[in-house]
Parts: sequence; C-alpha cells; structure tokens
Amino acid sequence: MTLADFSTLLPEILLSVFAMAALIFGVFTGKDRSAPLILWVSAGMLVLVAMWILSAGGGGRTAFAGMFIDDAFARFAKGVTLLAAAAVLLMSEAYMERRGLLRFEYPILVVLAAVGMMVMVSAGDLIALYMGLELQSLALYVVAALRRNSVKSTEAGLKYFVLGALSSGLLLYGASLAYGFAGTTRFAGLIAAAEGGEISLGLLIGLVFILAGLAFKVSAVPFHMWTPDVYEGAPTAVTAFFATAPKMAAMGLIARVLFDAFGSVPGDWGQILALLSLLSMFLGAIAAIGQRDIKRLMAYSSIAHMGYGLMGLAAGTALGVQAMLVYMAIYVTMNVGTFAFILSMERDGKPVTDIASLNLYARAEPGRALAMLVLLFSLAGVPPMLGFFGKFYVLQAAVDAGLAWLAIAGVIASVIGAFYYLRIVYYMYFGEEGPGLDRTAMPAMAWAMLMISAAAMLLGTINLFGVDGLAAEAAAALVN
Amino acid sequence: MHSTFLFLIAALPFLGALIPGVTIRAGRTVCAAFALAPTLLALVLLGLLAPSVLAGEVITARIEWLPALGLDASLMLDGLGLLFAGMILGVGALIIIYARFYLSGDDPVGRFYTYLLLFQGAMLGIVLSDNILLMLIFWELTSLSSFLLIGYWTHLPEGRQGARMALTVTGLGGLALLAGGLLLGDIAGSYELSVILTRGEEIRSSALYLPALLLILLGAFTKSAQFPFHFWLPHAMAAPTPVSAYLHSATMVKAGVFLLARLWPVLSGTPEWFYIVATTGLVTMVVGAVIALFKNDLKALLAYSTVSHLGLLTFLLGLGTPFAAVVAVFHIINHLTFKAALFMVAGIVDHETGTRDISRLGGLARLMPVTALIALVAALSMAGLPPFNGFISKEMTLDAAAHAAWQGNGWIIPALTTVAAVFSVAYSLRLFVHVFLGPVREDYPRRPHDPVPGMWAGPALLALLVVLIGLMPSALVGDLVAIAGGAVVKGALPYYSLKLWHGVNPALVLSVIAVIGGVILLWQHGPLLRAWAAARRPEAKAIFDATVAACVAGADRVTRALHGGAISTYLAWFAAFALVLGVLAWAGGAHVPGSRPPLPIPPTVAAGFVLLIVATLGVISVHRTRFLALIMIGVIGLTVSAGFVYLSAPDLALTQISVETVTTLLLLLALNFLPRHTPAESSPAQRLRDAGIAVCAGIGVAALAYAFLTRDFSSISEYHLANSKTGGGGTNVVNVILVDFRGYDTYGEIIVLGIAGLTIYALLMSLLSGAAGRRLRNWRDTTPRSRDRHPMMMVVATRVMMPIAIMVGVYLFLRGHNQPGGGFVAGLVVAIAFLMQYMASGFLWAQERQRIEYHALIGTGVVIAGAAGVGSWLAGRPFLTSSYGYFTIPPIEEFELATAMIFDLGVFLTVLGAVMLMLYSLSRMARVAGETINIEPMDVDPSRRAADGEKEES
Repeated sequence: MTLADFSTLLPEILLSVFAMAALIFGVFTGKDRSAPLILWVSAGMLVLVAMWILSAGGGGRTAFAGMFIDDAFARFAKGVTLLAAAAVLLMSEAYMERRGLLRFEYPILVVLAAVGMMVMVSAGDLIALYMGLELQSLALYVVAALRRNSVKSTEAGLKYFVLGALSSGLLLYGASLAYGFAGTTRFAGLIAAAEGGEISLGLLIGLVFILAGLAFKVSAVPFHMWTPDVYEGAPTAVTAFFATAPKMAAMGLIARVLFDAFGSVPGDWGQILALLSLLSMFLGAIAAIGQRDIKRLMAYSSIAHMGYGLMGLAAGTALGVQAMLVYMAIYVTMNVGTFAFILSMERDGKPVTDIASLNLYARAEPGRALAMLVLLFSLAGVPPMLGFFGKFYVLQAAVDAGLAWLAIAGVIASVIGAFYYLRIVYYMYFGEEGPGLDRTAMPAMAWAMLMISAAAMLLGTINLFGVDGLAAEAAAALVN
Repeated sequence: MHSTFLFLIAALPFLGALIPGVTIRAGRTVCAAFALAPTLLALVLLGLLAPSVLAGEVITARIEWLPALGLDASLMLDGLGLLFAGMILGVGALIIIYARFYLSGDDPVGRFYTYLLLFQGAMLGIVLSDNILLMLIFWELTSLSSFLLIGYWTHLPEGRQGARMALTVTGLGGLALLAGGLLLGDIAGSYELSVILTRGEEIRSSALYLPALLLILLGAFTKSAQFPFHFWLPHAMAAPTPVSAYLHSATMVKAGVFLLARLWPVLSGTPEWFYIVATTGLVTMVVGAVIALFKNDLKALLAYSTVSHLGLLTFLLGLGTPFAAVVAVFHIINHLTFKAALFMVAGIVDHETGTRDISRLGGLARLMPVTALIALVAALSMAGLPPFNGFISKEMTLDAAAHAAWQGNGWIIPALTTVAAVFSVAYSLRLFVHVFLGPVREDYPRRPHDPVPGMWAGPALLALLVVLIGLMPSALVGDLVAIAGGAVVKGALPYYSLKLWHGVNPALVLSVIAVIGGVILLWQHGPLLRAWAAARRPEAKAIFDATVAACVAGADRVTRALHGGAISTYLAWFAAFALVLGVLAWAGGAHVPGSRPPLPIPPTVAAGFVLLIVATLGVISVHRTRFLALIMIGVIGLTVSAGFVYLSAPDLALTQISVETVTTLLLLLALNFLPRHTPAESSPAQRLRDAGIAVCAGIGVAALAYAFLTRDFSSISEYHLANSKTGGGGTNVVNVILVDFRGYDTYGEIIVLGIAGLTIYALLMSLLSGAAGRRLRNWRDTTPRSRDRHPMMMVVATRVMMPIAIMVGVYLFLRGHNQPGGGFVAGLVVAIAFLMQYMASGFLWAQERQRIEYHALIGTGVVIAGAAGVGSWLAGRPFLTSSYGYFTIPPIEEFELATAMIFDLGVFLTVLGAVMLMLYSLSRMARVAGETINIEPMDVDPSRRAADGEKEES
C-alpha cells in the first residue's frame, strides 16, 4: 500500500472525496436548495475526471498488488461511463426541478454510482469487483426509488433491490466457489488456475454463477425482469441514467472478468454468453412490440441492445471486445439523446410516456421530430446511421469467430426490433390526429443533448469520431 | 482507371438534395431547376467517363473509411453500372421536369425534390459501389427515401399504409441481404465486389453458399417485388405518379434485378440458383400478368405489369445461361423506356381527367391526341409487337425459354412464358383500347385536353426511343448491351443479334400465339372480369395486416406471460435459470467423485442433524404463524451452534449463540407490531412450482457442498494457523483473522453494523411521523396480555445477572486474542444483559436510566477502531498492522497487550451501540402504539409493600 497505489486510484479517490464533501455541504447548507449547484459541480467534476482519464495515455498499471487495474480498456470504459453520467445529470436538472424531485442527494448518488462503476471496470480481483458493483448498485437502488411518494416508483425500487440482492448473492456464491477452488480471488491467480485451457468443475460452476450475477446488471435475459418495471417506475431522468452509464460499466466488468480471470477458457463462457445474447435479442425485440409506454419500450430496447453487446463478447476475440466497446459507446450516445427527448414529453405540464401522444409530432415540432427520427433509425440499426455500424461491428466479430448462426439470429432479431422503432416514426410523421404534446420549448440542456446525439448519429458515420481506434487499443489491452 | 469523378457523381444528388428545400420560396420552377442541375451535371460527368467504359475499362475510386471493418468507400463503374447509372440519371432528369408540371402549387414541392434527389443519390450509390457493405448501406437508404416518397401525400391514408408496407417488406429484405452480404464477404475473404466476383468457384463450393444465396435472394426478391413479396408494389402506387414512374418502374424495383445481375457470375450456374430464381421469376411473371389484366385502376394495371416484367427479368437471370443474361440486360433498357413512358401517360390522364379508373375512361384519343400517340407506341412495345423494342427482347426471351427445361421437362417453361405473353398482350392492348378508343364520354370528372408540352416532352422522348431502338437496335444500344452484358457474364459474350427479323423460328410461333390469344382475351374481357370479380382470392393486404396484427398480439402474449409484474414470478425465472446454468456447467465439466472418506457419524450428531431437518420442515409448515416460525428458527440457530461446537469451532459457536439470542429477542419485540399471521397470497400451483425450484436449488447447493467436502483442497487456513501467533500475536486464529489479517474487513463490517443501527433508527423515526405512525396510534392490540408484565422474579434475576454478564463480557473481551471470545462476542453478551433489563422492567423505565447516547457509542467505537488502524501509520506500517508486546505489572502475571485489542474495543462498542439503538427504536414504536409506561421497575415490589407496611404500623 504505497503512494503509487493511491496515485493510480487518484480519479476514484478524488470523486469519492468530492461526493462526501458535497454531501456534507448539502446537509449543512441549503439542502435541496443547493441541489442545482451540486448538480452542476458534480457534472463538471465527472467531465473533468473523464477528460483527465481519457487524456492519460500509456500502458497499463496495477495497484494494490493487482487488485486494481488501470489500462486502456478501463480508461475507455470509464470515459464513456463518466461522460454519460454527466450528460444525464445535466439534462435531468430541469426535469427534476419541475417535478420537485431535485434533491441534493441525487447528483451525489450519481457520482457515487459512477465511482462504483469506475472500480468495476478496473477490478483485478473478485473483492474489488464486488465492492465496485455494490457501491454502484446501492446508489442505484436509492435513485430508483427517488420518487418516494409514488407507489410505482417505490415498488420499482423495491423490486430492483430484491432481485439485485439475489443476483449479488449468486455472484458472491460464484465468487466463493472460485476462491475455494482456485485458492485466490485475484484475477491473475484465477487465470493461472486454468492450466492448459481446462478448469475444474468447481471453478466452472463458480464462473457460471458469477456470470449469472453480472447478467443481472446488464439486464440480459432471463435476468432482465427488473428492467421494464424499474424503467417505468423510476423518474425519467433516473431511467435515462439507468439506461446509459451502468450498462457500459457492467459490460466492461463482464469483459474484464471473462478475459482477465477466465480468458484461457473462452469456450466455456462463450456458449453462455451466446445463449444470453440470443435470448436477450429476441425477447427485447418481441416483447417491445406490445408496449405503449415509451419508457417500457426503451427498457426492452436496452435489453435487446445488451444482447448485441454480449454477442461481441461471446466472440471471445479482441475484435469482439472492440466491437462491444464501439457498440456500447454508440448505444450510450443514442440513449442519451432519446431520453433527452422523452424527458421533454409532457401534456398539460405533466409528463406523459404514452407513444400515442407522439401522433403527428412532426407537424408541431419538425426539428425535434427529425432528430428523433435519426435516433430511432439509429436504434433500429438502419444504415447509414451510426447504430448500424455498431451492429455491424458485433455481427462482423461474431461471424469472424465462427458464430455465424448467432449473427444471423441477430439480424433476424434486429428485423423484428425495427418494427417498434419505426412505429414511433410512423406515429410522428403519419399518425392520426389526437391530443398531442405541449408545444413548449425544451430545456436548453436536454435540447442540446438531443441535437448533439442526433448529429453524432449522422456525422459519426464519417469515421466514428475515431472511437473505434480507441476501442481497438482498449481491446488490445484486455485481450492479449 | 482511377477517377475521382465517381465520387463527385455519387455525391452530387446528395449535395443537390440540400438546395430545393431552400429555394422553394422562389417557386416551383426555380426549385425544379435547382434539382435538375445536379442531375444533369452528374449525367454529363457520367458521359465523360462513358467512352472509357465502353472501351472496356473499369473505373474505380477509393477512400479508406473504416479499415478495421473492411469498409472502404470504394466505387466502381463498369458496363452494368454505366447502364444503370445512365438510367437513373436520365430518367431522373425527365421525372424532375415532369413533376414540375404534375405537382400542384399546394404540394410541398421543395420537400418532394429533396426526397427525390436523396433517392437518386442512394440509387446511384447502389450501382456504383464496389464495396458490398457500402452497397448495402445505400440499399437501405433507398428503402428509407422511398418510404418518404411513397408517403409524400401524408393526408392520404393509403399513402401512409402503402409507405409503411413498402418499408416493412423492403427494409426487412435489406436486413436479410445484410446477413447474406456478410456471409458472402466471409466466404470470399473480402468485401470488395471486384474481389468477390473473381471467387465464384470458392463461393459456389462453400458450405455457406446456400444460406448466403437464400439471404441475398430474399433481399433481391423483396426489392424487386417477386412473388410472394409482390404485394407491396401495387400498394406503393398511392405515391404521386412521378414517384411511381421513377421508383417503381425504372429504378428502385430494378435494384433487386441489378443485384442478381451483379452477383450473377459468382452465384449462378448451380441447380439451386436455377430452381429458386428462375421458378420465382416465372411464377411472378405469370401471376403479375394475369392480375394486371383485371385491374381497373390505371396505375394498378401498370404496377402488376411491372411485377410481371420484373419476374421476366428475374427468370432470364435465373436461367443461368449467358444468352439469357444478355437478353435480360437488353430488356432492362426496353422496359425502362416503355414503362416509364406509360406511367407518365397514366399521370397525365389522371391529371387531366381527374380519374385513373379505366371503366370511367375511354375515347380520350380525340381529346388528347399527343398523349394517345405516346401511349399507343409504348403500349404496343409492352405488348411485344413489331417494330418496337419490346418485340425484340420478347422474341429473344421466348427463344431463351424455348431452350430451357424444368426438371427435364421441355415444354413447361415455354408454355408458361407464352401464357404470360398472352396476358401481357391483352393488358397492354386493353390499356390503350379502353382508355383512348371508344366514344367520347360526357362524364369525365374534368374536361380533358393535352397537357402543356413540358409534361408530355418526357414521355414523348421515351416513346421516340422505343421506336428508334426497335428500328435500329444495334446502332443505338448495341455497344451498351454488349458492355453491360459482358459485365454481367464476366467472360466471352454468347452469340446474339439485336434485330427485328430473325426469320420464322419457334419464338416467332409462340409470339404469334400470344398475340392471337391476347386479342381473344381482350375481346372476352367483360365476362372474364365478372368471373374474376366473383372468384375468391387471397387478399395480400389483408394477409399482411393480419400477419402484423398477429405478430403484435403474439408479442403481447409473450410479454404478459413473462412479465406480469409479480416479483415472485421474476424470482422464479431468475432462480430457475441460474439453476439451469449450474446444471449445464455441471454437465459440461468432467466430474470425478471426491476422494476424501466421510467422517464417522456418532448418534448425537445424527440426532442433531435430524433435529435440524425437522426444524427446517417445521419452519416451512408453520411459517404463516410468525411466532411459531421464529421459535423454530431459534431451534435451527442453536442446533447450528451446536454443530460448530462439535466441529471444534468454539469461537463461531459463541458468536452464533449470542447473535442468535440477540436477533431472536429483537425479532420477538418487533413481532409485537406486526400481524400474527402471514396471509397466503399464492395459489397451490404456484407454491408447488416454487417448491420444485427451491428443492432443486437446495439439492444443487447441497451437492456442491458435498463435492467440496469430499475432496482435498489446499485452503488458506493452513497459512492462518501457521502465522497467527507469530504475525498477529494471538493463538485464537479466528480473532486474529478478524482484528488483524482481515482487519480491514472487520473495520468495514462494524461501520456497516453501525450504519444499520442508525438506519433502523432513522427509518422508524420517520415512519412514526407519517401514515404508518397514525395507523399505529389508532391501533388497539386485542390479544390478552399477561397480568404480570414485569414479574418480580425476572426483574430480580436480571438485576443480579447484569454485573455477572458484564463481567463475562469483559472476560470474553480480554481473552479474545488467545481463547474463544473477542470484542464482537463480548459486545453481544453485554447487549443481552442490557436487553434483559428492558424486557424485565419495560422500555421506558430502562430508557430513563440510560446515561450514554447509543449514537455516541457507535461513533466512539468506529473512531477508536479507526484510530487503532491509523496508529500503525505512525510506526511506519500499513493501515491496521497490529503489534503486540508482553508486559509485567506486579502482582499480576505477565500478560500480553496488542494494538489489536484497541481495535477490538472499537468493535465491542460499535456492536453494543448498534444493538441497543435497534432496541431503542423498537421501544419508541411501542410507546407510540400506546404502551403503558410503568413508573415502578416491577409489578409487585415487596420492598415497597414492606415500606407501606411499616408506614401502616407507625
């Protein structure tokens, strides 16, 4: 435990200290009155730390005897996670303020969750993994139930907590099995225990349970049950957060565990991931068709998207990891934009989430409708929007790894999935007359996020903003 | 040859698409001019490149885009590309002019031109792409832009539905094509078309050939409206007529044919190709032609005729012979000329008369002579009559068909082709006869007359081409056909000759039969139409709508079944799947039975085991009666403690017993405020399901535990046993682990414990001020209470035991480092002693005698433990490193002091504080609930009675 160790963790420490200081500041000053200030400062901190992490180049470093790993992969995942968290914070301010939900704990909890995510993607040890995961989860449990006077929100929070606790239990069970059979919790030790591509049965079962626990965090089928309920019940701004940063972090964590700790037996977990991916893609695509609530719809959409992300990982190659990272980065960007729009959906000053309320929206607000059109097409994976390239990347990785059947299934699922995205477009452009949305100006930050995200979907097609290069570097750091 | 002109050609329409939206304020004409300019410019550039292409060169251009994905922006212009690009731009220019006059001033013309140019660009992209992935992107773009164009008149429900249907079908096909393209690229090892086209052998012999072929064909067939995907095209006719003329005759629907032609060298030549492609084409050709004859809507007739001709092209390419492929190329040109002209004529008729219904038209030849002349030329060409271009390609088609055999059957293909030709003649003639001939009617919705020249100029030009190509085919298009055909077959061209008269051959005979048959059909059209109307046919739109609705309903059902909102279902899924994964892992790994022999089982242990099982079953059976269940749980806890004792883990046993006691006491107190019984909320079936999952999961866990216990593995305990005395200065390994080896964990744990105590306090306090508090205040407990709630015996006993218990606590604490005990256990023991006071004399009585705030106790404990950790920094050691030493203070024996002891003190205080704080929170609740406050420590106080007696005596 030396100074070098701490300096490796400096970003995490800085954010944690900031969160605690902000908490004390909030408690001893204006409480909720100081919430906007805390929110802006928090977002600023997140962006600063993200920039700092992204600008730090160089190879990998480890701290605390390998418990904590700082490499290109971690930096990439952290950058995306932190920026997404900051974006969601910024665009949610106006929404939370209007609904009387802007408590000063909210930004602090988001920052704490972000710290948890940073630890997750940097974990080099099962204990560190668990610590990061729980820090994140605990913060998320609380924000899910932020709207305390709503039964739905409370129920959502409770469901999330109960299922989350169960998944943590599974994970811990798996971790203890892994520890029991490998004699170490360090990833480096675990990978050494798998000599010659063979792992003992206990270790294998441990791996399976660890995966099951992690699958919950990315809401992969069949561990996805909480997703629609929580998405619907939580305040929209919180839902936006759920749909973005934690997903990236959890994906990063899965990649980290699988490649760092079980990288020598890709065949064993590849099948599980392929199965989870297949189920997620199809369930996400099919179940969303019947949804009338756009938040529930986005929940299923994210389930399906996670399926594609997992497909990249299932490939078990560097290209697969790269594909997953690119996919997640694109996914996060799309979701930030989409949720910025959903945040602005209101009628008579009250938030609505019914899809039918978007009827003929294009006539009322052509600009926003166009941005949404781009985003929805991108979510559906229609060329030439950026979403297509994400899908293409993972399909390519899957085909290269000999998972052509999975790639074909993915294409079929995306065909089914395209239906419900396009239906929203259809409503917006060709729908029937009906009570529409209020024609009020969007809050500036949300508007900016919507437009930036939509523009990114179009401009990104030129060279993906170089994200694929970063992702390649990150994947190379992880897979060796 | 490399030429950056290609990029310019492909980009011009996209750049041009930005302008019309801006210039629409200046009027329709300016807008059209600005749309025309990029199209013409691109056409000129293409013309500059044309001579080199016709000379046999292939022009390329390339920019690296996403090299990691094998995605380069690479373009290629060969004969086939030149043909299509010329068609797209040429017809595009004509349509832009035509649309200027066709659309009215009320329509948003600027948007129209923007969409049209977008489409044009996408279409050009398809035919110019060298990279198959790039092509797929443009492919989807055409689907999207055509969606916008078909739904252009957003006020028309047919337009919207047609647009959606077209997008659904072609978009889905496009995605299938994407998968096929990926497979193709995977087989060929490159996504460059120029490379793929050289790998024909590899591709055809690959195991993935059939899936790739099927997926690619799915894309091509949906786009080119082949049976059974033909239904979207007629519905797309709700689009403005310029759109129909451009997209649905000349360009977009030909994209599928283009793809078939493009991949012809690598995919064709196998039986699969022949039977799938040629058969589909043949069926489409016949079906389209038959339906076309019975359509009264002018555009519907043309739509089905287009379907039929697309089937013809597919059929020709499907035959797989070079000759047929060249015929297909030639017919593409011919079809373009007459069909685009006819569409524009239909648009003129619609525009001038206000209707497209054939039954309401007739006699227009006299009113609109120019239009009629154009229509006549184009219709005769479509019917395949000499001396027009349609005749030549039809002759060649029949020639190709006459030499083809299906499953060894030599007549079926010629026969079907002739049937299609018969109907083709009939509907082509009907188009002209029923619309333009006959008497002039009085009831046209509008007064018809020939339109302005700008409107008929386009079709007239095309009609002129129809005649000229018919008369001198070789001179006009011979080179183009040769070079485009060469690009398709990728090799030596077969013998063919483009001329009107081939002599009397089988094709001519079939052709004559077709004309005669067609005339007869037209003559008998009235009765036939009635028979057709009476017949029951599958309605494609209804089927499509029903399919979509069924999909939605099916999805709904799946979702409801999986996602009812009940968390018990979720948990069941969750647990069941985890179980399945576990079983899969078990089955996947190689399991060897453990080698460790089991220990002997003495009778006492067996009895304990049975007790454990019985108590567990008891909990399950009585769990609805909460009090009983708690007692049972207590039994289980104590049995487990006994197990620890038996297995030589005194420390664990001590901890377990004290924890068990504390929790049971606290739970007992809490049960006071809760219902006595848990209501049953699930059905027996559900419980059975849950029981099944639970039993399986239990067996799984037990099996794992058994597997663990029956094999030797190196555990970390050896290390701890060896190092606890030397490293931590204690012989009680458990305690040394807690306060030293894993002191960090313990530190975290006591913080968590403290937080838990504080949280319970905070939660209950805020609960009491809310709705729950009100409910509690109004709640009257009706269960009979014991008469002596604070019995003297108990009060006395607890009082006497208190100092003893504290003594035991201190003892346990002090010896903890070397013997069973420690701060944690000591804290619990002392807490129990305090708890007993509360129980004996009542919450409030005890509360009033409490001197130290429990919050402070927790805080102090954590601070002390932290300080003990930080102290080691002063000695230059890492956090929480303990050190110890031996001291002698006379008269006490030599004793050991370790810094770990300070840490343990922190643990002790925190545990005590947390437990007491929980108790305090519960007591607050009791007071709100109306618990009477006793002033005296016990119900019957003998000393008081004695004092009272003394008073009486005195």
